[in-house]
Formats: sequence, C-alpha cells, structure tokens
Amino acid sequence: MTASVGFGFMAACTLVSAIFVVRSKNLIRAALWLGATLLLTAALYAMLDASFLAGVQVLLYVGGISTLLIFGVMMTRKHEGLVVEAETVNVPRGVFAAGALFGGVAAAIKMTPELDSGVRPPVVTANDLGRGLLIDHVLAFEVVSLLLLVAIIGAVVIARKRDPGAEVPGFVRRPLAAKASSAKPVANEVSP
Amino acid sequence: MSRPITLALVATLTPALVALFLAATPFIRRRGAPAAALTVLGSVVSFGAAVMLLLSRLGQTGTELFTVPWIRSSARVIAEAGVHVDGVSASMLAVVCFVALCVQVFSLGYMHDEPPADFGRYFTYHALFLFSMNVLVIAPNLLQLFVGWELVGVTSYLLIGFYYKKPSAAHAAVKAFWVTKFADMGILFALLSLFVATGTFAWNVKLEPAVATAVTMLLFLGVVGKSAQFPLHVWLPDAMEGPTPVSALLHAATMVAAGVFLVVRADPLFVQSPTTRTVMLVLGAVTALFAALLALVQTDIKKVLAYSTCSQLGYMVAALGAGSVLAGFFHLTTHAFFKALLFLAAGSAIHAVHSNEIGKMGGLFKKMPLTGAAFAIGALALAGVPGLSGFFSKDLVLEGVEHKLHHVPYVILLATAFLTAFYMGKVVFVAFFGPPSSEQAKHAHEPGWSMKLPLVALAVLAVVAGYFAAPFARLYGEPYHFHFGVGAAVAAALGLGGIALAWTMFGGGKRENPQVMVTVERIAQSRAVNRLYEFGYRRVTLAMADAFAWFDRYVIDGMINWLGYFTIDAGRRARPMQTGFAPDYVLAVVVGAVSLAAWAVLR
Amino acid sequence: MTLSHCLLLASALFAVGVYGILTRRQIVAVLLSIELMANAANLVFVSFSRFRPSMSGSGAQGQIFALFSLALTVAEVAVGLAIVILVYRAHGDTRIDLASEMKS
Repeated sequence: MTASVGFGFMAACTLVSAIFVVRSKNLIRAALWLGATLLLTAALYAMLDASFLAGVQVLLYVGGISTLLIFGVMMTRKHEGLVVEAETVNVPRGVFAAGALFGGVAAAIKMTPELDSGVRPPVVTANDLGRGLLIDHVLAFEVVSLLLLVAIIGAVVIARKRDPGAEVPGFVRRPLAAKASSAKPVANEVSP
Repeated sequence: MSRPITLALVATLTPALVALFLAATPFIRRRGAPAAALTVLGSVVSFGAAVMLLLSRLGQTGTELFTVPWIRSSARVIAEAGVHVDGVSASMLAVVCFVALCVQVFSLGYMHDEPPADFGRYFTYHALFLFSMNVLVIAPNLLQLFVGWELVGVTSYLLIGFYYKKPSAAHAAVKAFWVTKFADMGILFALLSLFVATGTFAWNVKLEPAVATAVTMLLFLGVVGKSAQFPLHVWLPDAMEGPTPVSALLHAATMVAAGVFLVVRADPLFVQSPTTRTVMLVLGAVTALFAALLALVQTDIKKVLAYSTCSQLGYMVAALGAGSVLAGFFHLTTHAFFKALLFLAAGSAIHAVHSNEIGKMGGLFKKMPLTGAAFAIGALALAGVPGLSGFFSKDLVLEGVEHKLHHVPYVILLATAFLTAFYMGKVVFVAFFGPPSSEQAKHAHEPGWSMKLPLVALAVLAVVAGYFAAPFARLYGEPYHFHFGVGAAVAAALGLGGIALAWTMFGGGKRENPQVMVTVERIAQSRAVNRLYEFGYRRVTLAMADAFAWFDRYVIDGMINWLGYFTIDAGRRARPMQTGFAPDYVLAVVVGAVSLAAWAVLR
Repeated sequence: MTLSHCLLLASALFAVGVYGILTRRQIVAVLLSIELMANAANLVFVSFSRFRPSMSGSGAQGQIFALFSLALTVAEVAVGLAIVILVYRAHGDTRIDLASEMKS
C-alpha cells in the first residue's frame, strides 16, 4: 500500500517535472528541469528493483547528458546574459498530437488485461546484468562500445574549429545576423 | 513447267530484271544510252516470247496454269501467284509487248534530246511498266491482277510526271493517281467481298445474285477509273503532260485498256449480274458520246486523241455491258494498234513543229509524207472506214449493242461514230493539209528511222488486224462470222459522211466552226466535273482532314498533355507539404503512429 | 504499482516529449524533449524487466536493453550538440526553422 502511494507520488512528480521541461520559457531552466526528471526516473528505477541501472542513470544521464546540454545552451546563446529565450509555437497542434498519442497507447494498455497477471519474476541482480552483458550479449556490447567511439570522433570532427576560408560542411552560406557575441563566425566571406 | 508457261514468264520477268538492274546501277542508268539499249533488248525478248506463245496457242483450247503459294494464313493458302495462259492472255500479251516495243523504239528518237540521266530514267520506267502490265495480263486470279493494276498505276504516275519539274506535269500525275486510286477502292472492296463470300480470289465462282452484283459493280468502279469513263475521265486529258510515246503506250493502248481486260477476264462474274451489265452499257455509251463531243473542241492534238481514247473505251465498255465480250476485246486490240499509231504520228508532227497545237501545223503531209500517211491510216481506222481494222471491230461492237435497251445505246454509238469521223477528219485536214500555219510548219521534216519504223509497223497492223478476226475469235473461244449487213453499211456511211463533212468545213484551209462546237466549247470551259472534284477534295476531304487533325491535336493530344500538366501541377501543389521543418515531420510520424494504434485497437 | 501503471506513466512522459518536439523553437529545447522520450522508453524496458520473466538465461534482458539504449542516447546527444554548434556558427542563432534546407 505504501509502495503504491510512494510510487504514485514519484510518478506525479516525474510527470510534473517533465511538463516543466517543455513549458519553461528559460532554456537553462528547462535543461535543469530535465536533470530533475532524469533524477526522479532514477528513483523510479530503484523502486523497480533496478538499482544498478538507477546508478548508471544518475551517472550518465544526469551527470553526463544534462551537463552536456547545459554546455550546449551556454555556447549557443544569441546574446549575453543568463536568460535564454525559448518560445513555444503551435501549441494546439502539439497538445492534440500528444494527447492523441497518449490516448492511443493508453487505450491499448487498458485493452490488455493480461499485462497485470502472471508471476513476478526473480529480482535482477548485478550478477545477472554482468552475465548478460559479457556472456549472452557480448557482441552487442562490443558493437556499442565501437559506436560510442565513432560518435565521439564524429562529434569532434563535425564541430571542430575551422581555418578561415574553409567550408562549413553541409551548410549553405547565409548572411550572418548582426550580433555582439564573441562566437566566432567561420569566415568573413561574401555570402551568396 | 510447260513451254507456254515458260514463255509467259520470260515475257514478264525479262523487263523486271532489266528494271531491277537499272534501278540498282545508277552509274549505268545515268549514262542514258545503255539503259535504253537494255530496255529495248528486253522488250524484244518479251515480244519474241509473246509471239511464240501466241503461235503455240493457235490450235489450242483450254488453260495452262502454274501457281505458287503466295499468301498463307495458319496453314491454309489464301492466294497464289503465277501464270494463267489461255487464248485471251496470249493475245493480250502479244499486243502489249508489240505496242510497247514500237513505242520504246520510237522513244529512242523522240526522247533523244533529253539529258542522259533522264533518258535512262525514262527507259527504266518503261521496263517497269512492261513488267507490271504483263503481271496483270498473265494473272491467275484477281488478286495478282490487282497487283499488276496498281503497279501500272504507279508507273503511269512516274511517267506522266516524267517532267516533274514542270508544275502542270506534277499536278497531272498526282491527279491521275488520285482519281484512279479512288476507283481502286472499288476493286479492293470487290476483292474483299469476293474473299468473304468464297474464300478465293478466282473469277470462275458462283455467287449469290446480290453478291455478284455487288462484286461486279465494285470491280466496275475500278474500271471506270482506270479506263477513264465518265465521271472519272478527268485524269486522262491531263495525263497528256507526259511524253507522247507514254501517252501512246499507257494512255491509249495498254494501261487504260486494263479495265476492259479485267472485265473480259472476270466475265464469269459479270455474266451473273445483268444489272451491272446494264449499267456498263449505259455508262459506256454516254461516255462515248460525251468524250466525242469534247474531242471536237480541242485544239491540242494530244487532247483530241485523249478524248478519243476515252470515247473508244466507252465503246468497249458498252460492248461488254451488252454481253458481247469478244467485241469489246477485239476493239481493244484494234484500238491499241491504231490509237498508238495516231499518237506516235502525232508525236512525230509535234517533234517537227515543236508544238501540240493543230493551229500551228498545217500542210504537214507535203513535208512529212510518211507521218501524214500513218496518221491518215490511223484516223481512217478510227473512223471505221471499211477495209481497215477499226471498221471490223466497231461493227462487231455495234452488232452486239444493237438490240439492247430499245436501241438507245445503239443510236448513241452511231452518233458517236459520226462525230468521231468528223473530229478526226478535222484534225487531219487542219494539221496535214492546207497551207502551213506557222514558221515551224513550213520547215517540218520527217524524223529518223527510229521514229519511222514503228509508224510503219503499227500502220500495217492497223490495216490488217481486222482480217485476223476469225483466228482472234477462235483464241477467245467463240465463233466469228462477218456479214456486211445493214448495220455495217450504216456505220460505214456515217464514217465516210463524217469525213466528208469535215472536208467541207476544214478542208483546204477553211476554218468554219459549227454551232455545236461553240456550244460544246462553252460547256467544256465550265469544267464542271473537274470543279465538282475540286470542291469534293477541298471542301469535303480536306475539311474532314482538318477536323480530324484538330481533334487529334486538341482532344487526344490534349488529354495526354493535360495528364502531363496535371502531374506537374499536382506536384507543385503537393510540394508545400515538405516544409523542411523537422517538427512537422515528427507530427507526421505521430499521426501515423496514432492511426496505426487506433486501427489496432479498434479492430 | 502494476505494469500497466508503469506503462501509463511512460506513455505520458513520452507524450510530453512529443509535445515538446512539436512546440519548441530552439534546437536545444527539442533535444531536451528527445531526451524525455528516450527516458520514457527506458522506463518501459525496466518495467517489463521487473514484471515479466525474461526470455534468456540471465534474466536481465530488459535492463540490458535499457543500458544499451542509454549508451545510444549519449552518443546521439553528443552528435546532436555538435550539429547545434554548426548551425549556430552558420546562422548565429539556433532556431529550428533555420535548418529547413529540405524545403520544397
């Protein structure tokens, strides 16, 4: 009983936090709300007997991704100051689509009563996780590590600074908006 | 293959080989003289073979047949090609080859002044023509006959338009082709009907009366075109644009006679349709008179002869319509001789005076006695003066027609005989007697031997052919007796009377035009029939063609073009869906996913 | 708590993420929404691992998949931010409609 109430409370908090992520006018605040949501999700994992995963979630998501996102926000600001504007557009269409999606899935869930039946399986231990990663699914494990390497290299390659005069890959030149920011433009070339 | 078949094939294929060879070797053809030599040589061979064939047939009856399968359809042979030798084809073959040889020899002199390339082209066409005509004559069925028919039509087009740089010649060639092609539709449909009714193209089949009438009427349509009967006669005068020897061969002796030959051949069919025969009788008589009247008012000597040909063909058609097929065929033969003679003699005169107009001639008999004599013999034969070939054949025709349709066609043909004698007399007296009418006429002189020899040969035959009527009839398969009865006497009197009247009006330099000439002249100038065809062509055919062209361009092409424009337009309208704005694409995905979920849930 | 509750929560979080993608104008904000969606998916995996027996021997498939998914998400964020930096360099701003070269 208490478990249910606790779970319900945590669920509500997570949901509210998520809503703040998408509705916050301030980009920094939105990123921080994301961190909160991820943290709360970690708590949910813990409640679902996935303690290792909860730890990994905190480390990677909250500590890594959130941080990265905040860095991204900081590096791409139009003007100085902490306030970063983030407007929202087309709200009715978004509400409709999201609502329809949720409605559809919820209906599907509701129509499947056998979801809640069945025995509860044994708790997954770190031992099980280790065995699964390194014995049963070792190939996927290795491939993912390769993928991470590629992603790191790729991100670095894409975003590195270029000599003046070099082409920015994949972009058509546009006249740069006048700004006082210190962000360096690629080159002061004539735009088409 | 038996000897007659071989001879027939030699007569037909030799000119074909010559024509093929000359067509394939421009460097020989364009030198002129070699082409002429080859063609004449080939014609000599053909003529020799044809004469041998004729002689071998003299005692025979029955038919020699040789065919090879030609058109197949799912293991059944629909049509055959080959040779059919009997008395009719043997005699016609001999006539055609003889006249062709005479005309070709004459052309050696007449066309001598042409540039070598044209000279060679001319003789190549002659070889082609002889081959085509022979294919027609020896045809074992109506389909091969039709092939020969069309081939001679093509050759006629090529030869009428020989001076193709002259606009009037080019127009005349097209007109001839157009009119005869229209008539050939009749033959085509006749062949189709025949095939549908009997499964063959043979002429000795029994048909239902209605079918027989339909088939023969359609065949007759082809005859009306090819043999220049009213109202499809309009191409023949224009065809005089071709060189005079061509007029002699094609448009007097042989090609225009092909229509008559068709009826002779398909007699078993025509016998089964009295209706068609009646039509033929009436039309033939009308044409004879109509053309004779028009011949009266012509000043161009070739046009006189052209209308005269038209008129005589009317005689033949009338004879065939009356059921006297032998008479029609006999007249065809004698007419071939004396008409070719007349044309060649006229050619000689034209060559000497450098003009076709009889008004520019005059007194030529003194300067060119041989030509004059030849022309006079031809004219007398044509007029039906007793003793000459024309008298016998015309008499046979009149005999056949006499008792049909209450004597009306008979009277018409008698009147025509009078007119024929009259206008020919007029031409003879104006062109060959009396004082010379122009400088050239004063200095006229006889042509060389190549032009004189054929005149002599044809003149001889124009005189004696009549006396071979009996063997000719035997070859045809009917008995013949000549008796100088009332009919013959009347015809002879009319012929001589016509000539006498002409002498009184045109002899010795006089030029009195009788009232009838003035009337006919006025009617002729209205060119009513020609204008009718022009109207039909311009207002009806071209208008329909324009309508169809409009339909094709704007409706049919329009539909296709609309399809194209529609596709482009649809693409243009659909393009804004691609906004490039990523969240829009996400929305699309969401919509799709929700739809799938809904479908899964609601099932 | 039951499986359905967990799944409902996950779908709600996912829907919120969808809303964010459709309504936000900054690329980074869209990235945040994408993170929400990925997170919701991971929650589904973990829930199933908790309430349903696993197919293979080790019994931890749901969590293993969630782990891999997490790793992939990390890679995706890294590359995505690199692209954001490029867009910023080209246009001086990071609005999402600046990247609509695929427009007809």
